[in-house]
Amino acid sequence: MNMINLLLFPIIIPFFFAMILMFFKEQVVVQRVLTLIGLALSLVASFWLIATVKTEGIQTVTLGSWPAPFGITMVSDMFSALLVTTTIIITIFVVIYSFSSIGVERERFFYYPAILFMITGINGAFTTGDIFNMFVFFEVLLIASYLLIVLGGEKRQLRESIKYILVNVISSAIFVIAVAYLYSIIGTLNMADISVKIAEINQPGIISVIAILFLIVFGIKGAIFPLYFWLPNSYAAPPIPILALFGALLTKVGVYAITRTYTLFFVHDIGFTHQFLMVLALLTIIAGCIGALAYFDLKQIIIYNIIIAVGVILFGVAQMNTSGLEGAVYYLLHDMLIKGALFVLIGIIIYATGTSNLREMGGLIKTHATLGWTYLIAAFGLAGIPPLSGFIGKVLITKGAFEADHVIGSIIILASSLVVLLSVIRIFIYAFWGPQKNELPVRDQRTYRQMMFPAIMLVLITVAYGVGAEWLMPYMTDAANVLADPSIYINAVLKE
Amino acid sequence: MEFVLLIFLPVIFALLVPFAYKKIKGIHTGWFVLVVPLVLFGYYLSFLPLVMDGGHAISEMKWIPSLGIAFTSYIDGLSLLFTLLITGIGSLVVLYSVFYMDREKEDLGSFYVYLLIFMTAMLGVVQSDNTMTLYLFWELTSISSFLLIGFWYTKDKSRFGALKSMMITVFGGLMMLGAFILLSIMGETFSVRELIAQAPDLLNQPYFTLALVLLLLGAFTKSAQFPFYIWLPDAMEAPTPVSAYLHSATMVKAGIYLVARFTPIFGSASTWIWLVTGIGLLTLFWGSFFAVKQTDLKAILAFSTVSQLGLIMSLLGAGAISYHATAAMFGFATYAAIFHLINHAAFKGGLFMIAGIIDHETGTRDIRKLGGLMSVMPISFTVAAIGSLSMAGLPPFSGFLSKEMFLESMVALQHFELFNFDTWGILFPIVAWIASVFTFTYSMYFVLKTFIGQKKFDQLPKQPHEAPIGMLISPMILATIVILVFFIPNVIGKWIIKPAVMAVQPTLYASPSAVDIHVKAWHGFGAAGLWLTIGVVVFGTLLYLTIPKWQPLYRIQPDKLSLNNGYDAMMRGSEKGLNRVSRLYMTGKIRTYLLYMFAFMSVTIIAILFIKDAFVLDMNSFTAITLYGSLNAIVLILSVGFVVFAKSRLAAIIALGGVGYSVALFFVIFKAPDLALTQLVIETVSVALFLLAFKHLPALSTHGETKRNKMVNLIVSLSVGVMVTLVALSSHSQKMIPSISQYYKDTVETEAAGGNIVNVILVDYRGFDTFFEIAVLAIAGIAVLGMIRLRVSRKEPTDENK
Amino acid sequence: MEFILSILIGILFTAAVYLILSRSLLKVILGTGLLSHGAHLLILTMGGLGGTAPPVVIDGVTDFADPLPQALILTAIVISFGVTAVMLVMAYRMYDVHRTDNMNELRGNDEHD
Repeated sequence: MNMINLLLFPIIIPFFFAMILMFFKEQVVVQRVLTLIGLALSLVASFWLIATVKTEGIQTVTLGSWPAPFGITMVSDMFSALLVTTTIIITIFVVIYSFSSIGVERERFFYYPAILFMITGINGAFTTGDIFNMFVFFEVLLIASYLLIVLGGEKRQLRESIKYILVNVISSAIFVIAVAYLYSIIGTLNMADISVKIAEINQPGIISVIAILFLIVFGIKGAIFPLYFWLPNSYAAPPIPILALFGALLTKVGVYAITRTYTLFFVHDIGFTHQFLMVLALLTIIAGCIGALAYFDLKQIIIYNIIIAVGVILFGVAQMNTSGLEGAVYYLLHDMLIKGALFVLIGIIIYATGTSNLREMGGLIKTHATLGWTYLIAAFGLAGIPPLSGFIGKVLITKGAFEADHVIGSIIILASSLVVLLSVIRIFIYAFWGPQKNELPVRDQRTYRQMMFPAIMLVLITVAYGVGAEWLMPYMTDAANVLADPSIYINAVLKE
Repeated sequence: MEFVLLIFLPVIFALLVPFAYKKIKGIHTGWFVLVVPLVLFGYYLSFLPLVMDGGHAISEMKWIPSLGIAFTSYIDGLSLLFTLLITGIGSLVVLYSVFYMDREKEDLGSFYVYLLIFMTAMLGVVQSDNTMTLYLFWELTSISSFLLIGFWYTKDKSRFGALKSMMITVFGGLMMLGAFILLSIMGETFSVRELIAQAPDLLNQPYFTLALVLLLLGAFTKSAQFPFYIWLPDAMEAPTPVSAYLHSATMVKAGIYLVARFTPIFGSASTWIWLVTGIGLLTLFWGSFFAVKQTDLKAILAFSTVSQLGLIMSLLGAGAISYHATAAMFGFATYAAIFHLINHAAFKGGLFMIAGIIDHETGTRDIRKLGGLMSVMPISFTVAAIGSLSMAGLPPFSGFLSKEMFLESMVALQHFELFNFDTWGILFPIVAWIASVFTFTYSMYFVLKTFIGQKKFDQLPKQPHEAPIGMLISPMILATIVILVFFIPNVIGKWIIKPAVMAVQPTLYASPSAVDIHVKAWHGFGAAGLWLTIGVVVFGTLLYLTIPKWQPLYRIQPDKLSLNNGYDAMMRGSEKGLNRVSRLYMTGKIRTYLLYMFAFMSVTIIAILFIKDAFVLDMNSFTAITLYGSLNAIVLILSVGFVVFAKSRLAAIIALGGVGYSVALFFVIFKAPDLALTQLVIETVSVALFLLAFKHLPALSTHGETKRNKMVNLIVSLSVGVMVTLVALSSHSQKMIPSISQYYKDTVETEAAGGNIVNVILVDYRGFDTFFEIAVLAIAGIAVLGMIRLRVSRKEPTDENK
Repeated sequence: MEFILSILIGILFTAAVYLILSRSLLKVILGTGLLSHGAHLLILTMGGLGGTAPPVVIDGVTDFADPLPQALILTAIVISFGVTAVMLVMAYRMYDVHRTDNMNELRGNDEHD
């Protein structure tokens, strides 16, 4: 069956379900069921999409049947398809986690529609082939995120949300002017067409300037140095399920955008643009390392680990060789999954102990053994201990860097694994080992088990991702190949 | 069946252990676990005939073929030797632990799981031919060691000792990973054998030395060489079976294994020889010197282990010299290294077990409180004496033979003529001898102070008596081996040592029988080793007898200067120090963060604009200046000024509206009627919204902004404005490709059936955009609704944000 | 005319950023308003301010203004309106709870050590 519109399903289905959910504002159970159904359907579509891209190549659709580049083209290459699928998987489990943790009050005020709208925006941003359309999808996901970050109106939320929205308004404005500048010079908005035209004029200096401007725009969202400062406090404000979604998904959209633009558009002045990216990536890793060790608050530790991961991924992209790009793709997907798992896990720890301050915890392994071991596996996964999921990506990125003669960068990548390990093992040593400090608050065992289910599932998925790396290799290689060779993407879009 | 799978047998068996612990109450879980190492030992023994003749066996299980990563088991002399050590001593340790670990008090379910994981990991390290899976098992040993050291996790020393060991060994592991990746790029393979085959080609590649150093970092951290040894004394927090197994006989030897295995690749480099021999010797001395300072029995043994590992390491380094000089005297060293490795495993394992027995039976490990135990613990005394004397290097014990060979090898070094050894080479035997003296001293100290001398039984927590026979079996077996090897060293040599030596130096020896080294106890009066040993005994005894006089000298070194303190300072720095650093720039104020961002953006973009020669001002590209346009511009600027400098909310909002309407006017001037309409409507509604919102907000105030604040703000905002203008001018001046909108102009009537091109774009060509733009409005609506109506109550039980 | 507009937009951005960096939340929001105006004007300017006729099909007219930037601006105007609305309500709610609009007092650091 030839489904031309298949690639639109992961965008349309959540949107459709979000609309329906708005009719069931007060019926929380109905909302929960419908959300899961909608996400499940989207997941099926996205798996189907991956299979289709594997067998038939890049899928494209230009809305309205206008020829590209005059209409808006949606493009699903393996990279996008993998990202879309991972997004939906994580969302499903975070939603399940929400059932026991977000609280009915929020659920009655558009919590699930907001999540589905945000997924629409995220999947749309991953799939679009038009730079202004990407701006629109960014706005969709941002406005849904505004709703999520402030929902509930707690004191801390209100204070941080206003700053969050401010930073994003600024970044959106700069996105608009960057697109405007680019349009002025080459007169098109279609991403494949942009790539062709930049190649035609051989990326003169002004285009490189705009490249850096785009890097700044997406870097604000993706939290690279020196644009990440807003993230630690903003992300720590909302409840854990929202933090999990933000941490696992939102920053990655920025990373995706940088990757896409820096492998499709701005590939003719690599000595400058990608060196710049690489330096910023390394500084990002260092900044993240400082933060991950500096605080004894559970949320801050994992949040700063987001920043470290962003640095590692972009470092891999900056190498612009097969190893580096493949490693970056691997590591990106791994990081989305493992961050989702870790945030859910620390959410359970916070629930069990009633605090997020590590110094006030201790001895949890006696009462919560499963939580402890699950956490430890996730922690090792984050640090890249083989055979868990972070390892392959890290090895490939390091290999790519050595191949490109960036020795110091490689050593920094390897050393950052040590810092990551230290930061997450601290949580294990203080919260699970160690003497018990305070009385644990009385908690419902059933709720605990319900919360553990998505956590364990996510960790199992990451373990499978690591151990079963061989099955995933063909897909990763496909994704990396498209990134390494823009002509594949361009041909798929413009020659239809 | 692929025998590589047997590596996983322990860890698979470990899945059953918790059930055995919980369900089968009568029998100590250790008895079940004992089966595993025994079976494995027996199985691997069967490879002995094959390996003795110089053969090898390979078994592979693929993991990620696309990347060339597989689990490969390669059995040759070296790996078989280690495998037998791991499984053999493993069996003895498990047996010992059955009696040492109390079934009621200890969490055996976890203990044996960790131990079995370790066993798998260690087997994997020594058998692995694929560097990536070798790394996998290497880190797994770090992890299992972490879990075992922290076994009694409520004790702070256990937790932080475990952390220290993990940090240092994982650091080394990561560096080793870097080395493996470099090697894989240079040799285009992950297989160690294939790399060894390419050794001559690798020598001249650019990153050869870097890979060498990184690999050694891995080896030195794991084998506790200077300065990385500091984790080993802290690791003594682990239960004694763990200390006997991991931290004397197996895990700490992994670095030695690594050096031995990679000698064929790196051995011909002078950097290697100097580093391995030098650091080894330094460690030998350092460990033996500080061993006498210790008061805890296990700590003495820990420092002793550090020292002995240094000894073996230095021998491996000296052995690499045989790549450059083929005189017979240089051939000893590798043989001596392997030989001493076996001997050390035997006597040190036994000594640790005795230390554990003493702890178990007397309740303390403090040597100052012990004495005269010989009378109540004769068997333990015998075993301890055998172990200590072997360690000191006296006949008739195996340690004597390997110590002699060591001294001979060190003496031979001064005759080596390359790499500055002719000048510095004399240092080696001198340091080696001094260290041996101290080794003698602490060996005597360990056994004599504990077992002989004044009885201080009233100071002990428990009344001492001999250990149950079950606990003594394993140490007795080890002691027997120590004596046995003295009498049949060449049998052991033929079975195990020679094949291993061949594996380490394949270019020298084509087969094990070609290793023409014959171990003798007596070399005649002319042998340097004899006189050196006599000297060691004499001076060692002297030192031992005068210990009370010079032991206080240790206190001269201030604690602040120790390596341990360096590590502690680093860890403290990583908490408090970094916290202070982070707080320096993470002020919590959004203005600071925005200043960083805006400053970065404007400075970078303007700089790049000029660096890249991108700033172009083509006045001809600009359309003519019109009167209405200019007037409107002035109006707009004035409105902007009002917004900025307004003193009341109302004025500011109206000024903002003024800006908006001026923009609408621009839209009219520049032929965008739909835009103008939209802008007018939206601006009006916006103004209304602003009025509504600001009514509930307080009056405008500067909140104490200083002139300095304003200055900074001004500078940053000006640079942003300048950036925007400059890039805009440059972009407009460099229009290189005509816009695609020609297509819209061409087809709007014919294919889209519309007249207003902008509308048709919005609704047809780019309708997808519009669809989601409307969605944004809708979501904004529900966001507003949610914000106004939902105020979460304080009593929410699942509220985690306190 | 693009020359004048470019400078004008620069002034708009300067004023916008200056306001955004101030301590009073109200000024910050006003600043974001100016920011959007600047961005929208820039799209128009970058598309070229020539063109003697609006982009509506009428007999005989061939020199249209560029319709594409205009469509983009429309989308951008609507979106920024939505965001502004959310921002204003958020500010109102925030003031309701925190009783201050001094950005300095709204720090993020005290929640954890």
